[in-house]
Amino acid sequence: MINLSFNSCLVLLLAAPVVTLALARWKNTRYLPAFLLLAALIASGGAALGTLLGRGGVSLDLTWLAPYPFALALDRLSAWFLLLLSAAGAPVVLFSASYVERHYKGARRHWLWALLPLFLLSMALVLTAATAFAFLFGWELMTLFSAGLVAIDGFDGERRRSIFIYLVMMHAGAAAVIGAFLGFLPHAANLDFASVRAGAPFMTVGARATIFLLAFVGFGVKAGIVPLHLWLPKAHPIAPSPVSALMSGVMLKTAVYGFIRFAFDLLGAGIPAWCGYLVLVAGAVSALLGILYGLYEHDLKRLLAYSSVENIGIVFMGMGAAMIFNAQGALGWAALALMGALLHSLNHALFKSLLFLGAGAITDATHTQDLEKLGGLLGNMRGTGIAILVACCSIIGLPLFNGFTGEWLAFRSFLAGGELSDVKAAIVLPLAAGVLALVGGLAAACFAKVYSVAFLGRPRSAEAAHAHDVPWAMQAGMALLAAACIAIGVAPSMVLGLAGSIAQQLIPGAVVPVAAGTFFQFIPWVAVFVLAVVVLGLLIPRVSRITPTWACGMPGLDSRMQYTSTSFSKPVRKVFNRVYQPQRTVEILPANQPFFPSSISYRSVRTTTYERLYRPAVNAIINAARGLGRAQTGNIQVYLLYMFLALIAALIYMRFS
Amino acid sequence: MRIALDLVQFLVLIATAPLLRGVVARVKARIQNRRGASVFRPYFDLWKLFRKEDLVPPTASLLFRLCPVILWAATVAAAAFIPVLRTSALLGNQGDIVLLVYLLALGRFFLMLGAMDGGSSFGGMGASREALVSTLAEAPLLLGLIAIAIVSHGASIATIVQWTAARAPFELSPAHAFACVALVLVTIAETGRIPVDNPTTHLELTMIHEAMVLEYSGPSLALIEWSSAIKLNLMLSLLVALFVPWGMAASDSIPALAIAAGVWVVKMAVLAVALAALESSMAKLRMYKVPEYLGMATAAAILAVVFTAYKR
Repeated sequence: MINLSFNSCLVLLLAAPVVTLALARWKNTRYLPAFLLLAALIASGGAALGTLLGRGGVSLDLTWLAPYPFALALDRLSAWFLLLLSAAGAPVVLFSASYVERHYKGARRHWLWALLPLFLLSMALVLTAATAFAFLFGWELMTLFSAGLVAIDGFDGERRRSIFIYLVMMHAGAAAVIGAFLGFLPHAANLDFASVRAGAPFMTVGARATIFLLAFVGFGVKAGIVPLHLWLPKAHPIAPSPVSALMSGVMLKTAVYGFIRFAFDLLGAGIPAWCGYLVLVAGAVSALLGILYGLYEHDLKRLLAYSSVENIGIVFMGMGAAMIFNAQGALGWAALALMGALLHSLNHALFKSLLFLGAGAITDATHTQDLEKLGGLLGNMRGTGIAILVACCSIIGLPLFNGFTGEWLAFRSFLAGGELSDVKAAIVLPLAAGVLALVGGLAAACFAKVYSVAFLGRPRSAEAAHAHDVPWAMQAGMALLAAACIAIGVAPSMVLGLAGSIAQQLIPGAVVPVAAGTFFQFIPWVAVFVLAVVVLGLLIPRVSRITPTWACGMPGLDSRMQYTSTSFSKPVRKVFNRVYQPQRTVEILPANQPFFPSSISYRSVRTTTYERLYRPAVNAIINAARGLGRAQTGNIQVYLLYMFLALIAALIYMRFS
Repeated sequence: MRIALDLVQFLVLIATAPLLRGVVARVKARIQNRRGASVFRPYFDLWKLFRKEDLVPPTASLLFRLCPVILWAATVAAAAFIPVLRTSALLGNQGDIVLLVYLLALGRFFLMLGAMDGGSSFGGMGASREALVSTLAEAPLLLGLIAIAIVSHGASIATIVQWTAARAPFELSPAHAFACVALVLVTIAETGRIPVDNPTTHLELTMIHEAMVLEYSGPSLALIEWSSAIKLNLMLSLLVALFVPWGMAASDSIPALAIAAGVWVVKMAVLAVALAALESSMAKLRMYKVPEYLGMATAAAILAVVFTAYKR
């Protein structure tokens, strides 16, 4: 049954682009690709859930298709991430059914519907690969298809540069991942995961540490760990919103999956202890800088991209803590920290997809994603507004929303770290909780800004004032995600059990501490309590009267007197000035009347960039290319000489080897 | 029976919140050589506000009236975590420090949204300042609580209080001292008292909390005022429960509970007088000095955590 639904998912995803392009001429088939995709995602979700509930797995050998060992398998870890793909993907597809219809015409629409299933298929390949070849095949396709989807909205000027940076960084990351796999070669001839796993214990510590570092860098690029996050704020804002939702919600998680596969499964328990600290600190730095940069932005989608950097940082903090606990032999807490990372991955997929879809809905209604031009949208866009409020509450980690569950597990394991006998771990882990709390506070400031500037107060432009809510399919997509956020937030016990079974599989001998289970069973009671008090508060009799706000005696408040996105974040930006090193320009016109100006313009640009870090590498590559260019004379005799020399060299090598 | 007792102490915490505010205001007035209003004044204020009209700006959304209710609900739920008379609480036996801190954050988030929904400058002013203060206060608050939790081997509030109550005062570690410093500083910031914020200010340009609630009136304002009174009461009671829990009822007998109630009243009165004296003897800090103040709290909290590791 699980096999059947998994296979049908693959077949549907493969068939969808063919059907789309074949039937492109018929007008009444325009919703067909969305139906095919929904069916495929429901099938994959069913297969994943079945595997997680212990009804057997899937293994599919496709070596007859490929020159190298090519097999797919579904174990619990793969199933968790496949479930994440289905849970976030299906609502996004539902949203796209209407969004694509409204925004894309002709060839571009067909390309979008052809590339979307292939993108989903490539992610499914990565998540279920059981050989290195299958993994890398899916990994490369995932990069190419996502780049194609980003390019759908246009391919000129700044966009071309952003896509180029995306592709270059992805391939550098892929090179590191390939290197990590090749490191196993001496001990696992055909690089299928089973033989890699069996071969890993025979490797030296140095070899294992090298493989780990390569995997960390490779997956860190894809996940967006600072300072490897450079592509994220460039690629996400220019992609169509449903694609951004999939890239941020799901594609980043394939890197998390790959990292867990390497660090907890393939390499086993023999990773040196310092690796855990490295991951923890890298995660903490990413989380802190990601949210600080996000707070600075007022382009909604770029802000969300930075917030993804933050959340991935939190996930890596959880994984780093798990590695530290593992090295200390505290297996139960290692499992709990890992569960936190898994749960936060799932939660982030749900609420970040929702936020990107919301950004799409806002763009649909107002033709802008600049927060400074929005305001008061909740009045006209009630459905979207409520869904995005749920997403904002979730991403901050407020209790009774899903973001809290993953962060609570992280907090609880950091706290337990304080009782370890190793002094270094006992200090570092609780301090990580302090970083997480600071990040949580900054996230609250950031998303209070997003929500209140976009949806509350007065509209700041005519477009915002005359916005209409989006069609039902888009609203339904967002409502599904919001419902999932609340469901996991109020009753987290079920997903906790699923995550626990994975952690126990990855960390053999771990007994998940009971504290988590009893606490998560307690959350529904808190929800009931809070809801009861809210109802009580709503029952208080009151007489309301609508009356203009007092404007200090002046006639009429207007929207320009409100706090904007920039002014809201000003105090926090001022305190963290060092991080931004902003370049401010204040222009007062006319210049000869500084006290009675007719206009004042203010601009503030963050000058901290990471491009400097890449400069040496870029220069080295360009120089190497120049050097190679000298060998390329264009003279045919010289090329014949090269071939002759190569032949001689090959013969000598064959003779002596 | 147990639940009934927990319910009673929870209701006591909510019902006495305005009284605590009245006492602080009265003591403050006496220190400043004024006669001051009756200590029951806050109750009359609440009663008055509950019967008044709720004025709503024309551009406000449905959240404007919902936000105060959510703030109130979250604060009331947080109050159910605090042991007052016994070393257990309605939600505090399983509810842990992280949930407590984040419940307060839930209320604060919705208060900021409500402030921004008014559509005037002052709401935004208050909300953006509150965002700064609360952001920087969150880390020391959690770190301080975590340090005590590590020492007492448990994350739930009841466990921590029971561990401390079972020991003599001199058995506590340096971690407790540093955590106490951190949490006292944070409590002042979180409850919006001098030197971080002035609850009695009339100058909009210096307001934080008061600027946020400027557009609110009637029952909505009453809920907000009551919530901030409950927050002050619960934070001070939390300090008492964490650092000086001695005197709490060991058994469920009436005399033990009566003694515990008396002891609690005395402790809270001491804290109220101290708060009033502090507020009368200090000026409000400049807004951009507050990060330094909270940085001090963070440093103390970090030291507390470091001491937990070296205690063994």
